[in-house]
Amino acid sequence: MQDSPTLSYLVATDVGGTCTDTIVFGSDGGIHIGKALSTPPDFAHGVLASIQSAATPMGLTLEDLLSRTHLFVHGSTVVDNAVLTRDGARTGLITTLGFEDTLHVTRGAYGRWAGLTEGQMKHPVKTDRAAPLVPRDAVVGVAERVDCFGDVVLPLDEAAVAAAVRHLVDDKRVEAIAVSFLWSFLNPAHEARVRDIVAAAAPGTYVTLSSDIAPVPGEYERGSTAVINAYAGRITRNYLTDLASQLATRGYGGATMVMQGYGGLLPATEAADRAVGMIECGPAAGVIGAKFLGDLMGDADVIAADMGGTTFKVGVIQGGQLEYAREPMVDRFHYIAPKIEVVSIGAGGGSIVAVDPVTRLPSVGPRSAGARPGPVCYGQGGTEATLTDVMLLIGYMDPDQFLGGSITLDRAGAVAAVSRQVAEPLGLDPTAAAIGIYRIACAQITDLIREITVERGLDPRDFVLHAFGGTCGMLAAAFGEELSVRRVIIPYTASVNCAFGLISADIAHEYTTTRTLGTPAPAAEVNAIFAQMEARARAQLHAEGIEPGRQRMEWSVDLRYCRQVHEVTTQVHAATPLEPAGLARLVDDFEALYERKFGKGSAYREAGIEMTAFRLTARGLMPRPVLTVEEEGPADPAAAFMGQRPILDLTSGGMANGGIYDFTRLRPGNEVAGPAVIHTPITTIALHSGHLARMDRWRNIVVTTVS
Amino acid sequence: MDPMTFSIIRHRLFRIVDEAVITLKHVSGSAITNEGHDLMVSLYRADGTLLMGGVGFLHHLTSAAEACKAIIRRFEGQIGEGDVYLLNDPYTAALHTSDIYLVAPIHHEGRLVAWSACFVHVTDIGAMNPGGFAPQAVDIFSEGFSSPGLKLLDRGEMRQDVLDTILNMVRSPEMVSLDLRSMIACCNVARDRMGALLTKYTAPVVDEACAALVEQSEQLFRARLRALPDGQWQSRQYLDVQGETARVVLTMTKTDDRLVFDFTGSDPQSRHSINCTKWAALGGLFAPLFPLLCYDITWNEGVIRPVEMIAPEGSIVNCTRPAPVSVATVGAIQSVNNAACTTIGKMLAASTEYRDQATAVWHANHFAIFKFGANQRGGYSIGILTETFAGAGGARSFADGVDIGGEIPNPISRMANVETVEGAFPIRYLFRRRAVDSGGPGQFRGGTGGEMAIVQHRAPAGGIDYVISGKGARHPMSEGLAGGYPGAPNSYVWVHADADADLGAPDRLEAIPGTPQPVSWGVYPLRGRDALYVRWNGGGGYGDPIVREPAAVAADVTSGVVSDSAARDIYGVALAASGAVDLTTTSALRAAIRSARLAPQEASE
Amino acid sequence: MTRHILPTVATDGITCTCAGCGYGLGPATALWKASAICRNLPLAVAGGPAYDTGFADVVLRQFICPGCATLLDTETATASDVALDDRLHLR
Repeated sequence: MQDSPTLSYLVATDVGGTCTDTIVFGSDGGIHIGKALSTPPDFAHGVLASIQSAATPMGLTLEDLLSRTHLFVHGSTVVDNAVLTRDGARTGLITTLGFEDTLHVTRGAYGRWAGLTEGQMKHPVKTDRAAPLVPRDAVVGVAERVDCFGDVVLPLDEAAVAAAVRHLVDDKRVEAIAVSFLWSFLNPAHEARVRDIVAAAAPGTYVTLSSDIAPVPGEYERGSTAVINAYAGRITRNYLTDLASQLATRGYGGATMVMQGYGGLLPATEAADRAVGMIECGPAAGVIGAKFLGDLMGDADVIAADMGGTTFKVGVIQGGQLEYAREPMVDRFHYIAPKIEVVSIGAGGGSIVAVDPVTRLPSVGPRSAGARPGPVCYGQGGTEATLTDVMLLIGYMDPDQFLGGSITLDRAGAVAAVSRQVAEPLGLDPTAAAIGIYRIACAQITDLIREITVERGLDPRDFVLHAFGGTCGMLAAAFGEELSVRRVIIPYTASVNCAFGLISADIAHEYTTTRTLGTPAPAAEVNAIFAQMEARARAQLHAEGIEPGRQRMEWSVDLRYCRQVHEVTTQVHAATPLEPAGLARLVDDFEALYERKFGKGSAYREAGIEMTAFRLTARGLMPRPVLTVEEEGPADPAAAFMGQRPILDLTSGGMANGGIYDFTRLRPGNEVAGPAVIHTPITTIALHSGHLARMDRWRNIVVTTVS
Repeated sequence: MDPMTFSIIRHRLFRIVDEAVITLKHVSGSAITNEGHDLMVSLYRADGTLLMGGVGFLHHLTSAAEACKAIIRRFEGQIGEGDVYLLNDPYTAALHTSDIYLVAPIHHEGRLVAWSACFVHVTDIGAMNPGGFAPQAVDIFSEGFSSPGLKLLDRGEMRQDVLDTILNMVRSPEMVSLDLRSMIACCNVARDRMGALLTKYTAPVVDEACAALVEQSEQLFRARLRALPDGQWQSRQYLDVQGETARVVLTMTKTDDRLVFDFTGSDPQSRHSINCTKWAALGGLFAPLFPLLCYDITWNEGVIRPVEMIAPEGSIVNCTRPAPVSVATVGAIQSVNNAACTTIGKMLAASTEYRDQATAVWHANHFAIFKFGANQRGGYSIGILTETFAGAGGARSFADGVDIGGEIPNPISRMANVETVEGAFPIRYLFRRRAVDSGGPGQFRGGTGGEMAIVQHRAPAGGIDYVISGKGARHPMSEGLAGGYPGAPNSYVWVHADADADLGAPDRLEAIPGTPQPVSWGVYPLRGRDALYVRWNGGGGYGDPIVREPAAVAADVTSGVVSDSAARDIYGVALAASGAVDLTTTSALRAAIRSARLAPQEASE
Repeated sequence: MTRHILPTVATDGITCTCAGCGYGLGPATALWKASAICRNLPLAVAGGPAYDTGFADVVLRQFICPGCATLLDTETATASDVALDDRLHLR
């Protein structure tokens, strides 16, 4: 790669649980990729290593690259990691007297079963809550009360607050305090006063107010959000500060933008105080990346599937819109923050395959061999057969060409393990057992995707499917056909999709005002609510250097049928500020959306419709990367043909001779017909009879079913 | 049959039930369905036997099978594709009139191949008290509309005259109409998804898989029973209503691979609506049996075959028409749940291999409190206090029960946020928290129950009213295991206060101004400065309290779930002022408790 | 071979014993509770204020090993209720 001093770069790094991925985007349109292992808890170390690994093949030092970088975009699993490993601050909670148990009681059984598999839910004797982030003796109730209209019923007992702070800081040695009072989202005065008292009595204590971090109804979830934020707050702030200084030391002079779980960016200085915002921001970026590609290719409806070593994750983009999680959780703790819905199951290349000793049902996962010891065929000491071993048995991996031939896969070991764990208990030969496991993995994924689409009232047949990650390509054509999606796409950037998503995101701020208004309501009243939020948003964007021409204000409103519990966030499509006709259109749009989501006949018009929350998304548009496009050539893929070997052809139900192709030698326009496999540097794309794969102008592989 | 295809079909049947549940909740939109998860969806074979039970209120799985069979008997020869039937008569199959079953045949290529069935607790059924639970009912005729089976949809077409007739008899016809619509949508999804499965794998293959699934469950359950000791275990439950007490007595006998549940010795049926019919009793004993004995076995007809129930005619667990039953689900059925949980728990605990599956009784005592009245936003509200779904976990042989952790028969419920309730009703909570000393003491402590108090707040009519079917204030009902104590009983208190009383910030019953009066049964007002206080039961304990780890007792005291006096008197644990265990005094206390136990009884009291 | 009727009570088919200390609790053909110490404690005495229902006729019945004073089993009962009969059927 020729380096020119006139080029400037956009660098994006995503820290995932296993790998830290970097994508460097040059002003000439060049794309460079870097990868390193993640380095918890000192994630910054892995970030620098990952950027370095992208810089080296470019012929640049880390310092060269960073000094010519105009923007650094970042996503990190730091908050998820702090919660999962219980590595956060000693945290206390101040709440309304009489409701000290709200956090620990988790709305009854909810916190006991949420996040469990169906099998676990059916076995209640073996279920418990997760160990709490705040011990019960670090929760203090103080007298105060606000009612459902936001009116003060009981004034705040300030002396009790001062005593509570002393108790928490002196006796309980807390480093952070969360504050969550009933109805504080309607009247935050009491919480704000507690912040002042803490600042005076124990300066340096990290404070999170529930009315700040999650100004929405629902005291359990709002309080839990405040606690998580307080718990991970300082770690997040220190991490981002430290990363910025390390990058600066190595020559970077620009700003750092940090990905949020809702798929938008925030300047690092703001992100530092909103730890909950960073939860699962990597997978969210993955969905943003899929949306960018979908927009580019003219696909508004996309199922984004990512399958690596341990989990299968899936997100949905519908009509160009992102789907948000209804009840987000980290570990097994609920929180409220806008977050792109990404659902996962424990199914990946490292998932252990087994036959249940009681029911004799074969299964894939959720136990995983992880990266270490990994699959048996890697020869790193793994003894339990995994899905990857199954893939080797059915011909989808080349024992001699894995990771560019750096490891020779142990086929005999894989056969023996699959025989022992699956074939013998079921009285099958190893190949038949492997084929069966492949079918089960496809069925599990099909069922998951069907569930999450049906949950939203969507039909998978309207979607294209994007397959990311190291394992997805081996299964995507098969489960894509079973779901009858329009086509399956394995993007060129599939291996660093989350990092790719980082560079296709905008700055975004989310504002919410909770207020119940019946319909029809005076448009002026709605406009006044938004005007207040817009003024804050524009000041914020201005401070971030976003001029008015790059500011976008998107209005949406939560509506529901009175006496029903399901609220639907409905976008305002009419011109704003709203005229009465625009407001009427909003209500019509809600009704259509409701019926689509919850099914025909689900609407309960007789009771009337009410608005419950007003949401503003304020965007600061970022420059979009321009991807290089190549002309499509002839269909014949002969130049990439590597030979033939027996591979599973699901269409005919058994092993068949299939063509083997080298992705790096395919050219846009080339077409490969199944049964065949295409080996890419990180994965294999498996095609069954009736599947046709074409490389498109952006070097994505597009699979369609032709028969 | 090919094990891979079998595995895929089994998983898909499970998912079909799951999708149907999602549909039900989406369309229903009511709090009892969405928060309480007071619902059920299951699939049944062509003959009405259970094929795949979902995770819902589990005492419905067998009753809905009987509902399918009752519909088959009644409509033989007239069952068409797209039909949907309604059944809610407790003397035919249902649990009580407000839990309506919709039962729908599933046809493939013109043949009847399966059934789906579902229920929700409808908003109202026209009983003498609003909300379905009718504590004042004297017979089934005062408990609202009931049908032993009618055709609601004829080949996909709503029978409007029938629907209008039902809606004409209930208090909240729009909400009941929506409840019915949600169940119809649920049946449609089950039928469509089953259709897709049948098309992909063909009817004979699916039928073979279903038969194999039932056969497999039976074989696995029988093998599990053979691994457990042969013997008999007994339990006893008390149902007290306004000073009248009825017993449910159960002898469970396990012989080889069979289980017999015999309720001989239970009291005659009550004049109050706590009775249950025999189908309800059968459902009541299967509700804990599925998750306790078959946690890793598909819940279907195969599990039912090795089990026999003996319930004397005319008793509280097999009442004779027209005895009232509207409170059955939180009355006799729940006592059957509890009694079966205890006998199964004892049997599991008797086996060293299965001891870690044993549990003391969870949440033995629902309290159905429906509040109704004009709300603060110009409308009218009616709804259950969802705290009743937030029971306490029973202690296990290896761990404490989960505080306010739910219940076994309905494994995935939840309770509403205080803000949700205060937003919908003109009431204000004074407190809601775990109730001290409510968890049954033991080596492993039962989970705590909770306590709460509410007052009216800015109610346009000066207050609201509530229907209460509150039993269990006289007897602890969450039995302990292996020497563990039962969880503390329920308590319902109406605190009468002067009109100008200053409520202040009370955080316990004693701090609420006014005069306390126990209430439990009927319809009452909540007005002025009066408060309603409810404490609900803790879970049963496991093992002798005086061998509990002293540090665990100290931690319980620190977090406020066990009092100092209970630590000292029941657990024999003394704590220093710092809250740490005083080991010397603890040893002495425990020795004194042992002596007292061995002393002649007159001397010990 | 030793089996359990409850975790706290064992039997070898001939006699019943305390699983903790081995104290004899009578022949296997009889109800072991007959050989244990039985205490009927008013609820408020047994469990403290949380159990005080104001109804004195309901008791917590405790069955205690005369050998080691371990609490073997409990029942909620009224005076007229006979003890619950748990036993193994050995073949």
